[in-house]
Amino acid sequence: MPLLIPQLPKGPYYGILAEFGTPADLYHACERVRDAGFTRWDAHTPFPVHGLEGAMGLRRSPLPWIVLVMGLMGAAAGFGLQWWVHARAYPLVISGKPYLTWPAFIPITFEVAILFAALGAVLGMLGLNRLPMHHHPLFQSRVFERVTDDAFFISIESWDPRFDPAATGKMLESLGARSVELLES
Amino acid sequence: MVERDRVALRPEQATIPPGHPWNRLPVIGAGAALLGAVGCAVLGAGNPKQFFFSWLVSVLFFVSLTIGALFFVLIQYASQGGWGIVVRRIGETTFATVPVMAALFVPLLFGLRDLYSWAVPGAAAQDALLRWKAPYLNVPFFLIRAGLFFAIWSFIALAYYRASRRQDETGDPRVSARLRRFAGPGLIVLAVTSTLASVDWIVSLTPHWYSTMFGVYFFAGSFVGFIALLSVVVVAMRRARLLETIISREHLHDVGKFLFAFTAFWAYIAFSQFLLIWYANLPEETIWYKARMQGSWMAVSILLMAGHFGAPFFYLMGRTVKRNGATLAFGGAWLLAMHFIDIYWQVMPTLHPQGFRPSVLDAAAFLAVGGCFVAAASWLMRRQALVPLRDPRLAESLAFENA
Amino acid sequence: MAQTEAELLDNPVAGRPTLILRSPDFHAITDVVAEPVERRTPIGWWLFFIPSVALLGLLGGAVSWLFWEGIGVWGNNIPVGWAWDITNFVFWVGIAHAGTLISAILFLFRQKWRTSINRSSEAMTIFAVMCAMLFPGIHVGRVWVAYFMFPIPNQMGVWPNFRSPLLWDVFAVSVYGTVSALFWYVGLIPDLATMRDRAKTRGRQFAYGLPALGWRGSVRQWHHYESAYLILAALATPLVLSVHSVVSMDFAVSLLPGWHTTVFPPYFVAGAIFSGFAMVLTLMVICRTAFRLEHIITLRHFDYMAKIMLVTGTMVGYAYSTEFFTAWFSGNPYELFTFKNRALGPYAWAYWTMVSCNVISPQFFWFKKARTSIPILFVLSILVNIGMWFERFVIIVTSLHRDFLPSAWSYFTPTIWDISCLLGSFGLFFTMFCLFVRFLPMVATAEVKTVLPQADPHGHPAPARTIRQGAS
Repeated sequence: MPLLIPQLPKGPYYGILAEFGTPADLYHACERVRDAGFTRWDAHTPFPVHGLEGAMGLRRSPLPWIVLVMGLMGAAAGFGLQWWVHARAYPLVISGKPYLTWPAFIPITFEVAILFAALGAVLGMLGLNRLPMHHHPLFQSRVFERVTDDAFFISIESWDPRFDPAATGKMLESLGARSVELLES
Repeated sequence: MVERDRVALRPEQATIPPGHPWNRLPVIGAGAALLGAVGCAVLGAGNPKQFFFSWLVSVLFFVSLTIGALFFVLIQYASQGGWGIVVRRIGETTFATVPVMAALFVPLLFGLRDLYSWAVPGAAAQDALLRWKAPYLNVPFFLIRAGLFFAIWSFIALAYYRASRRQDETGDPRVSARLRRFAGPGLIVLAVTSTLASVDWIVSLTPHWYSTMFGVYFFAGSFVGFIALLSVVVVAMRRARLLETIISREHLHDVGKFLFAFTAFWAYIAFSQFLLIWYANLPEETIWYKARMQGSWMAVSILLMAGHFGAPFFYLMGRTVKRNGATLAFGGAWLLAMHFIDIYWQVMPTLHPQGFRPSVLDAAAFLAVGGCFVAAASWLMRRQALVPLRDPRLAESLAFENA
Repeated sequence: MAQTEAELLDNPVAGRPTLILRSPDFHAITDVVAEPVERRTPIGWWLFFIPSVALLGLLGGAVSWLFWEGIGVWGNNIPVGWAWDITNFVFWVGIAHAGTLISAILFLFRQKWRTSINRSSEAMTIFAVMCAMLFPGIHVGRVWVAYFMFPIPNQMGVWPNFRSPLLWDVFAVSVYGTVSALFWYVGLIPDLATMRDRAKTRGRQFAYGLPALGWRGSVRQWHHYESAYLILAALATPLVLSVHSVVSMDFAVSLLPGWHTTVFPPYFVAGAIFSGFAMVLTLMVICRTAFRLEHIITLRHFDYMAKIMLVTGTMVGYAYSTEFFTAWFSGNPYELFTFKNRALGPYAWAYWTMVSCNVISPQFFWFKKARTSIPILFVLSILVNIGMWFERFVIIVTSLHRDFLPSAWSYFTPTIWDISCLLGSFGLFFTMFCLFVRFLPMVATAEVKTVLPQADPHGHPAPARTIRQGAS
């Protein structure tokens, strides 16, 4: 199940938040957390860190497929509209050309395809990311305010089967965390 | 980030080892050329017009590959692109064959009257437009221009080829700086000469026709043709256990991206030219497209739309196809074939207006010209390193990684 | 270990140069970009904003008078049916294209230097598209039935003519505006989150937090985000090519000599990028000094931008030559006359302005000294924009004013309302841009951080290295 669907926590805690100093520290820590078998966890960075998806073991995003489908639908819609208007609804002989003048239909077909594809990309991305989500338990942490500035974090949610308030925290410290915080749900 | 150390590859890592099957390529090429030449001599004697047209198509095809290679390498230098250094030697080898192409152009000079209606003596007397164009479209000036084009292309090609090979020994970074500085002006000269060459050799087949886009169209086709050739050669090299550790999936991916992008670019140029001429419907412009939509030529036009753009566009879209040697090489080979059909479609309707009429001479000429091209290029490959051994930025290219 | 600008501009034969000077860390980047947005409005901003709003007012007045009286207030008349209106339209759309090129195409080519300028150039794109869409909108005459242009059912039961490039324009430019805005907004989300987290007042936190959508830097979210960014860049690239090609087809599908020529689509696109980069240069020269961003928008960035201008300017020159050659080669007497008339006829003054600004002035950019000298860059960028405005003017007006029938020949002169609309459009543009730099971070902070050496998880945490001369 995707991580970002909210679920009922196990107990009073949301999870643990650990801060790291550099992208390199975070990268190595993520590899260890992934190898340790955690599933309900995430890393947080102020900018996309190169290769971190691999270190976390994430699968490729399905977004390109969503965009392709939307693009094809857009092309069909654009061409369909023009065909219907010029060959069906109100056919007119314009500059002596036939009704179904496909060369002249290409520009708009292309533009509508791009429009649908772009909408697919943006709405698809927001949907896959479960955005907007203005409230999240992580925001209660004061340290977390720097996630959009220069701090790097790993958060492990309490409903991960391997989560344990004490042991998980110690493990993260051993991986080089600057600070570890237990968050209420 | 640590400063990248300058890497120098040892020559053995990047040359064809003795005993390798690729050492036989020059002989194979020469054999094919001989077979093709005999075929042309035997069949062409009875049908000289067909011979000259078939020869023109094949020469244009291989010259366009060398032009594409020149553009590619000069653009790499001018833009200081990093990823392409590893594959640059393939481009250099391709354009180093330009003098051979110049020699192969010579047979056409005996057939100018068969090829170009404006070259027929007395043609201008009956045609006002030909009279108008006579200061440009006349045989002596045509010959001078052809000579100039090949001289200029040979000069640029050999200068860049020699300098790059010398850098294999010296590793001198000033060579790169100098080649980069001349790449800009070189590209301008290349753009102008290739445009005029396309007007001389292809547009003037239909001497009443004109199109300001044609130089760009010729460039687009040549560039796609070269990138397609590059993808095939690179994959073949890996298959033949040459440069396996040097050329990685990342480089294949980038070649694939270029192939995808420029296939789309070719389609954009080709379609724009067509759309504007179709839309205005002026007889002096539509004659060219009408000739290519008559009879069975219509089927070839549709084949080009679907095969040179439609199918490759969707095929090369995905990541997996571009990162796999077999699938990428298939796409490249397909587009090479499509580029040949494109040139064929541009030239042949002048000879066979009623429809697509393939001839054995088409194959014979292709063998003859192509055999010489393969022989020359592979002969060069045997005597050189397959990558620029001591290019100062080789390390960056080797370590290159796609997102 | 500070590098001088001169060292960094050395030919990077070995290794990649440092893009951001003075070795800032991540927090320093955030600070310097957020500071202009958070502090009290400086006097300098008002000095730009007030005149811009004044010009915007002029625009409002001119457009209102135009609606009231009709197109006759402009100088347009038979045979010159299109003049400054469409010149301005193509001018602004052209400028818009550089933003998308910087955001999208340079992204696809992995040119990391784009991160310093892409936010403001994308913003420039959106504002330029706004200015562009204004002109076709107001030039229709009966603006109250402008909805006829859109494929919605209307009281006459007719549909627009989809075969006309004028309608392709409607679709192309609106899709371009939409996609550019989406691309810009998607890029802004992480930076809006940064502003939200730095907000000192509840009001600011809400104002930035609402559009930030609750972004928390989750890597799982970055994953889909980066995919979307790449896809949008890949979509925006053909879109940019298609939009200005469609604009060029407004002219090229006609029968008019000087308009109907097949090379127009790529020629217009090259010209658009040329003029757009000139505008970006003009804006960046002002902004980097005004906001103390000289170490983020460096001379290296200007060097690259000037090179792109040289390339696209040369392409424009190539197109001029091809047109000229083909005008002779075609044997078409009308075509040849059009070109002779441009160079030697009543509009020769406009033609030669165009040639000197577009062909001659970019030649200075062959020289590194010119590419990295702020005064030269500023002056040349303005000259190029003047030249590109004149190019559209020459194409449109000289081809129309003397076409096939000599008895219909005439000479177009602009009126005060033509001039007001053009100046007013600059007011709209600069007003929007002033508001942008006042309220939004004008550098893409998250993206700039990724090009710092510390961002590499496999590299050393040390700051930027020095280039040692003559190192082996």
